[in-house]
Amino acid sequence: MMLILSIIVPILWGLLILLIRDFKSRNALLAVTGAGLAVAAVLGVAVILSGDAELFLFSFGKNLSLYFHVDNMGRIFAAIVILVWLIAGFYAFEYMKHEKEEKRFFGFYVMVFGILHGLTFAGNMVTYYLFYELMTLLSVPLILHNRSKEAIMGGLKYLFYSLFGAYMVLFGIFFLNKYAVTMDFIPGGTLDMSAVLGHEGLMLAVSFAMIIGFSVKAGMFPLHAWLPTAHPVAPAPASAVMSGIIVKMGVLGVIRVVYYIIGADFLRGTWVQTVWLILTLVTVFMGSMLAYREKVFKKRLAYSTVSQASYILFGLALLQPSGLTGSLLHVVFHAVIKSCLFLSAGAIIYKTGKTNVDDLRGIGKEMPVTIWCYTIAGAALVGIPPLSGFISKWHLATGALESGLGVFSWLGPVVLLVSALLTAGYLLPISIKGFLPGADYNYSEITKKEPKLIMVVPLLILAVLTVLLGIFPGKLTEYISALIGSVL
Amino acid sequence: MSHYWILAAILLPIVGGVLLYILPFKNKKYMHSYVELIVIITSVITGLVLFKGERGLLEVVHFVNNLSISFKIDGMTVVFAGLIAILWPLATLYAFEYMEHDEREKSFFMFYTMTYGVTLGIAFASDILTMYLFYELLTLVTVPLVMHTLTREAIHAVRKYLYFSLGGAAFALMAMIFIIIYGDSCEFILGGVMHTAAEGEHAPLLLWIYLLSFMGFGVKSAVWPTSSWLPQAGVAPTPVTALLHAVAVVNAGAFAIIRLTYYSFGTDFLAGTWVQYACMAIAIFTIVYGCSRAVKESHIKRRLAWSTVGNLSYIIFGATLMTPLGLAGALSHFVIHGFMKITSFFCAGAFMHVTGKSYVYEMDGVGRKMKCIYACFTVSALGLMGVPGFAGFISKWNLTEAAVESGNGLAIAGIAALLVSAILTAIYMLGVVHRAYFPKNEAVTIENAKDPGWKMCVPIALCAAMTVILGLFASPMVEFFEKIAFGIY
Repeated sequence: MMLILSIIVPILWGLLILLIRDFKSRNALLAVTGAGLAVAAVLGVAVILSGDAELFLFSFGKNLSLYFHVDNMGRIFAAIVILVWLIAGFYAFEYMKHEKEEKRFFGFYVMVFGILHGLTFAGNMVTYYLFYELMTLLSVPLILHNRSKEAIMGGLKYLFYSLFGAYMVLFGIFFLNKYAVTMDFIPGGTLDMSAVLGHEGLMLAVSFAMIIGFSVKAGMFPLHAWLPTAHPVAPAPASAVMSGIIVKMGVLGVIRVVYYIIGADFLRGTWVQTVWLILTLVTVFMGSMLAYREKVFKKRLAYSTVSQASYILFGLALLQPSGLTGSLLHVVFHAVIKSCLFLSAGAIIYKTGKTNVDDLRGIGKEMPVTIWCYTIAGAALVGIPPLSGFISKWHLATGALESGLGVFSWLGPVVLLVSALLTAGYLLPISIKGFLPGADYNYSEITKKEPKLIMVVPLLILAVLTVLLGIFPGKLTEYISALIGSVL
Repeated sequence: MSHYWILAAILLPIVGGVLLYILPFKNKKYMHSYVELIVIITSVITGLVLFKGERGLLEVVHFVNNLSISFKIDGMTVVFAGLIAILWPLATLYAFEYMEHDEREKSFFMFYTMTYGVTLGIAFASDILTMYLFYELLTLVTVPLVMHTLTREAIHAVRKYLYFSLGGAAFALMAMIFIIIYGDSCEFILGGVMHTAAEGEHAPLLLWIYLLSFMGFGVKSAVWPTSSWLPQAGVAPTPVTALLHAVAVVNAGAFAIIRLTYYSFGTDFLAGTWVQYACMAIAIFTIVYGCSRAVKESHIKRRLAWSTVGNLSYIIFGATLMTPLGLAGALSHFVIHGFMKITSFFCAGAFMHVTGKSYVYEMDGVGRKMKCIYACFTVSALGLMGVPGFAGFISKWNLTEAAVESGNGLAIAGIAALLVSAILTAIYMLGVVHRAYFPKNEAVTIENAKDPGWKMCVPIALCAAMTVILGLFASPMVEFFEKIAFGIY
């Protein structure tokens, strides 16, 4: 019951915000939105805490049913969804002041919250696909919010790339309907081996199509081009949740397909795994390289997301416990870190209007708290111990070394390391120049530009989390290891 | 209920249409009530006949041997006649408002109503001769509708329509002759009537004949290479494009192909032969071709017409799978596409009627002013794309399920084509939705745009509602189609 409410209530609440003709004041709109976010979060948390619930909702055709099942994998994703969505939502209260048509933004923002609950709690492939499509359609208005030419084009690019990916997934679902025993998510996979016998080639092609299809959302080469176009044109809170959360739903899709439907054993050692590994490593390197060369701040962060999301996919492609642990840890850490980075970039844009990294000299003198949060999160993304990014990368690297995949077992860690260096190269100079603008800088013009508390507090929370998760990763790692035991 | 009522259903709109021209009406209101009354009575009779009517053959005229004009009710009839019986009263209501400023309204409604009877004739026909007769009549009776505006373009379009259709009918005629000569009978019987001929020495020739007649009947459902008449015929008033060129006429083509494949030649004879692959390849090509042309087109009605070209070939693709599941899939798209496409055409027509514009790039921001219309258009767009929860997903699911089940190699290419077409559909439909709701900052919105009157809004809303309802509660309908396909009904 709680489960269905956690999905329906935010969707209806968002719809209500959209349909109400006029709010008396901005505060009324914010109150309604805030209440909606809070209620949704409480419901979500209640579902997470209330044991492995199952819910068969509705069947709209043979083998087509809406079925929800809360499992540990879903819980991890649901937890980061709730955390980041709330924080970015409250941040938006202040940030969206300088944008028009706030009502639409908040309406869709609350609606997508409900959809994300649906995704994380989905119990079978059809339900997942349904909510995945809805998420794409309803998040487009968040991207094209300011309706400038670039925003509209970015929104459309996002839409069509995502739909293309979704249809590749659908292609797979059509075949799974015949070759899988059930499309419910069962750890270890549900392929009907007697039916697959003789059709292994087809099944591998189908798996590959589904992996590529879901990876579109995670910006994997060669279908990554939409991400650096779409993420930066959105308002900062939307960029933060796009990179922090929406990207992860592609990752969750891949996990569900590979570990819960097809089964890791079926793919291990096949051409699918090889090609997948190559694509992720190419993306890791290429994303960092492009980020390094990019001068527009938010675009640089978006390229960074391309690279980091493929760290996660690389770990998944290893089909091996340590790799998977690293991936799941990186899912959590990257969500926190990247939202923190985007929100700081947003704070800078909101207060100074500067979007280019070259203009940010001395910014640390003007907005010290913001830039400190940025620096901590940036260092965590590079993987400097004891910050959180180090833990996940450690697991990813050991996973690769243990995997016994020949060339990949050493090439993987090397690429990860090179990319980490590049990450330091594109993130940290902003802090360095920000705090130490050099002798020729005109110090007399410095004015305090720190944004209001409602924007700073979210940044602080996220920055503190990146540190805490890095120092005390024990509980989370244990939880993930226990979960992986059942999958692999 | 005696099966003579079938005749009443077919003749009432034809006679009623002719009378409409003769009778003097005091004002428009009387005429409108008269037309709507005729159409509704016909629909009621059709409904009663379909569900309560006596089964069995109704022979009206007997020529020689086994040649006769006769009617019967079977599963296919229920599907086709049922579909148009629901849609015709709605489309007529819509037409009242759309045609309100037209001077030659009377002749329009005369032919519009007569077409109803003729289409029912195709649905009820029990053998190939009767179907052929009504099929030719359908071409002739719709000609005045296509050229209604009498502009240069309209005349040009109608000429093309006429040549294509008559040419196609000539091929169909050939098939008819061969079926009469080589078939066990010329009635429509599930499984076909060519069992003796399939064993005989003329079997290879008959396959060629099947291909020719497939192309011949394919003209009406705009199969490549004869698809270009359909977008051109978009010059007709929107009620014609919406009902005839998205449902009645084009579905008649698909209906004829299904009759020919499953009820005359028989799938046992055709399945696995080269001709099956040839026809399936044509259908697959048309799916991609139609949708690609739709993306390129910026005139809203022509864009939807190209979309119809692609979608009609979904039905034909299902039919060429030549399995019972394939037929069931084809029938689900037959019905579901009807509802979805008529909705989108109605919406496009409402936009043209209210604003006088007709290009997609003129739609900036109108979604915020014509709320009802664009909400329905969005529903039909999501349906056509095949988002789960909307009807289009159900028919795609059934088609692909049949394709996977058939184990046919080419059918896998067909599934890929369906998905390519889905992404193209997203581009050409959501492109419109997008522009209507989220115009660029500097774009100018048409000032006088607002929702039209109830006569337009109600039919549109009902059809859009059907798209959602069929998406969620399709199981009984799909089971019914499977019964038809397995010959249980």
